[in-house]
Amino acid sequence: MRAKNWLSALVLAWPLASAAENAEQGIDPLLIDPGIGTLLAQPEPPIEVQAFDTPNDDGGSITLTWPRDPQISENALYQIAVADSPKGPFRVVAEVAATGNLMSEAPALFGHGADLKNHHYVNVEEFARAGGKTPLEDGKTYYFHIDVRSAGGAIRGKVIVNAESRGNFFNNSKVNNLVLCLVFSGLIMGYIGIARRRELKIRRIAGLEALDEALGRATEMGKPVLFIHGLRGMDAISTIAAVNILGRVARRTAEYDTALRVVAPDPVVMSVSQETVKASYVEAGRPDAFNPDHVFVASTEQFSYAAAVEGIMVRDRPAAHIMMGYFYAESLLLAETGATTGAIQIAGTDAFTQLPFFITTCDYTLLGEELYAASAYLSGEPRMLGSLKGQDAGKAILLAILVLGSLLVTSEWWPQLTHLFTPA
Amino acid sequence: MIFLSRTLPLVVAFAFGMLGVVIYYIPHGNAQSLEREMALWVRIVFAFSYLLGLYSLLNLHWQRIRQRVAGWAYSLIAILSFAVMMVFVVYNDGLGPFAAQAEAGGYKWLFDNIHVPCASTMFSILAFFIASAAYRTFRARTPEAALLLIAAVIVMLGRVPIGRELADFFPLATDWLLNVPNLAAKRGILLGVSLGAIATSLRIIFGIERSYLGGGAE
Amino acid sequence: MHKLLAIDRRIIFALVFISVAGPLLAGISLPITPTNEVKAAYAQFEKLDAGDIVLVSFAYGASTAPEMLPMSRAMLRHVFRRDLKVVAICLWPEAPGLAQQVLEEMAAEFDLEYGVDYAFMGYKPGTFSVILNMGQDFRSAFPQDQWGTDTGDLGLTRGLRSLRDFDLVLDLAAGDSIEFWWIPYGQEKYGFPFVAGCTAVMAPDLYPFLDSGQLGGLLGGLAGAAEYETLIDNRGSASMGMSAQSMAHLVIAVFVVIGNIAYFVARRTSSEQRS
Repeated sequence: MRAKNWLSALVLAWPLASAAENAEQGIDPLLIDPGIGTLLAQPEPPIEVQAFDTPNDDGGSITLTWPRDPQISENALYQIAVADSPKGPFRVVAEVAATGNLMSEAPALFGHGADLKNHHYVNVEEFARAGGKTPLEDGKTYYFHIDVRSAGGAIRGKVIVNAESRGNFFNNSKVNNLVLCLVFSGLIMGYIGIARRRELKIRRIAGLEALDEALGRATEMGKPVLFIHGLRGMDAISTIAAVNILGRVARRTAEYDTALRVVAPDPVVMSVSQETVKASYVEAGRPDAFNPDHVFVASTEQFSYAAAVEGIMVRDRPAAHIMMGYFYAESLLLAETGATTGAIQIAGTDAFTQLPFFITTCDYTLLGEELYAASAYLSGEPRMLGSLKGQDAGKAILLAILVLGSLLVTSEWWPQLTHLFTPA
Repeated sequence: MIFLSRTLPLVVAFAFGMLGVVIYYIPHGNAQSLEREMALWVRIVFAFSYLLGLYSLLNLHWQRIRQRVAGWAYSLIAILSFAVMMVFVVYNDGLGPFAAQAEAGGYKWLFDNIHVPCASTMFSILAFFIASAAYRTFRARTPEAALLLIAAVIVMLGRVPIGRELADFFPLATDWLLNVPNLAAKRGILLGVSLGAIATSLRIIFGIERSYLGGGAE
Repeated sequence: MHKLLAIDRRIIFALVFISVAGPLLAGISLPITPTNEVKAAYAQFEKLDAGDIVLVSFAYGASTAPEMLPMSRAMLRHVFRRDLKVVAICLWPEAPGLAQQVLEEMAAEFDLEYGVDYAFMGYKPGTFSVILNMGQDFRSAFPQDQWGTDTGDLGLTRGLRSLRDFDLVLDLAAGDSIEFWWIPYGQEKYGFPFVAGCTAVMAPDLYPFLDSGQLGGLLGGLAGAAEYETLIDNRGSASMGMSAQSMAHLVIAVFVVIGNIAYFVARRTSSEQRS
């Protein structure tokens, strides 16, 4: 090793100090001596190096790219050195294998293209000082060079590039997401506009038609109606949909003078439900009949909640159980216990895994998005119905994209088109 | 009052709904900091909501005891259990209520030895209920129901070692059922549900859907 | 046949009880073959180097502990065997007691040093918002560990700035945390390798995320835990439980078949009587 370096020094008249020797001599491994020795047969560091602010991020990162060298040994490493001055000192902050970090592996940053597999990239997020590494500062210029290290030693890159990092105001990798979001929103808003001008019809939803039957039966029997919320909080769309249905149910029970009990597993859901039921009773002209204690938290814990609700089912024997929202394993416990009491049971959930349990044990089940449609269906309000129509139009577009995408992927024809729909 | 109960919530829903959508596309540090702040507010509101839940729960059981409704003794047990747990939490193994939670002590003992077995028992009841529900309701009344029934039996056997012991077919068929028809159905439902969620979100953001504020859609 | 159709539920309950208790008492052991999704989860940990940091999120309660604890043990055993570091958090209020139990077991088994090999940050309310917070600033989400020590004073957590600093995230969940918290607010935003363990009933719900690559591997229920135990060659309570689960599944399948035979015979009999 030393003899070879001596030879190199004679040939190139270049100061020698390989990184390996640095390590042997106890020199800070981060510090690259400005003059690193080389051998004539060794791979050359890249010349076409580019440095730029990493796109689509919140700053603190600079990306370097350089062409792949087909001649380079598989065991070689690229070492990326950084400094805050073109004069250095440069310190190694990242290493890239000769066959690794290809731009084609990061479509969120570089997109898709045949040439991308012929280029390497690295994201540098740290700057190294004598005391250790610190994050890159936005707006400050950093200087880089890329060295090559192989069995024969390390060669310092001759090209020094610079760049500064900054936070970006738009994530370009989410353009497809934004376009789809705008298209679907536009469709929904467009149909809401159409619904204002002409009447729209939607198909019959048996589970919702059955609500009146269940409430009527409870009235005839003089027994209460039990409304059971799913386990998720107010941030879930299914819970909001459940509250919407509760509003309609409460209005009918107020009109029929039937007792209504509402159980919730979450204090916020309880609070919103209380307001909803209260407003429905006021609208029905029966504010005196509203009792806030009839809307309560049974428990915030899954199976304690199930046990508490089962207790109410068995003790109070309500005539109807209405289970709406997102349910988990407690669904069957509730529905099976409810079935044994002989009550009419209507469930609605977007919890895919719980649907079979409800279908087998309830009289009617609202499947998935039927739950969301319930509010519009029950109100019959044109703008709400319009949003349902918009939703259907969106679904038709998705179906078309699915069919087209499946055909394109299967035939491997025009891959760029399929990439348009690839998530970032 | 209309302003506080209707207009303000609608404005807040619109502003934060739009903000949530816009921030999703902006990676800039300031936008991310705003998102962090909003997340922090949600956490604070969330923590306070526990007090609301606690009040509701205690009030419910207290009313049951006061009115001596059927099963009031269970309500008494619920309140007593709460009181006992609370005493141990405040005592905190001698450290007091303001210190970090003690590694051991009465609270942990009660949790490990009473709460865990009770809750686990509730979950285990599911096995009995599934068996009973399956026996009573899984009927091949139609060709579709027969298909579902056969799939259910295959998956039940294929997911446990005894299925492989009976025949290699069970785990293989289970794998196929879960990865092909199940996945296709789930994706279909997911797409429908996602579009429904977008439509509901838009209705809320633009104030078309107001029943979550109480009082129907209008 | 009508009698068979209207069989007392208690008889069914008794048979299920016997089918579960019998194999457990007899100590019957069955060979277990790992499925692809469990092998994928195992491979994600195998990819990591010694010293890499894994964030383990506990999001299950006491009720699902019998199903979730065996997989927690099996996965953490694998993690510590590979000299990986663990930062544990809880996103369910009930989880700290259960997480503490597993961590203490592991600390004793592998002679782990607290603050160096693992740290326990405890529970924070806020569900998905805690994940958003951690994504931005880990220390603001968890300024102290479960026992009141500053996050900056623990060797393991001192250098953690955000979710990007974790080499892998593992969520052990019995609720909506995998699908509704971690994937949309964590994995999708920060792109870390993500592995999950869940109850058996939740597992089919998560298959699309395996296919999309958002989930690197999945353990579903006791069966998933038993398969993981097989992979790490450490047969524990999950493997023992598989004989009971096998028998219970078999009994339910037999019930379904008998129920249908009785249903068809009864239907034929009544139609013959009518004609």
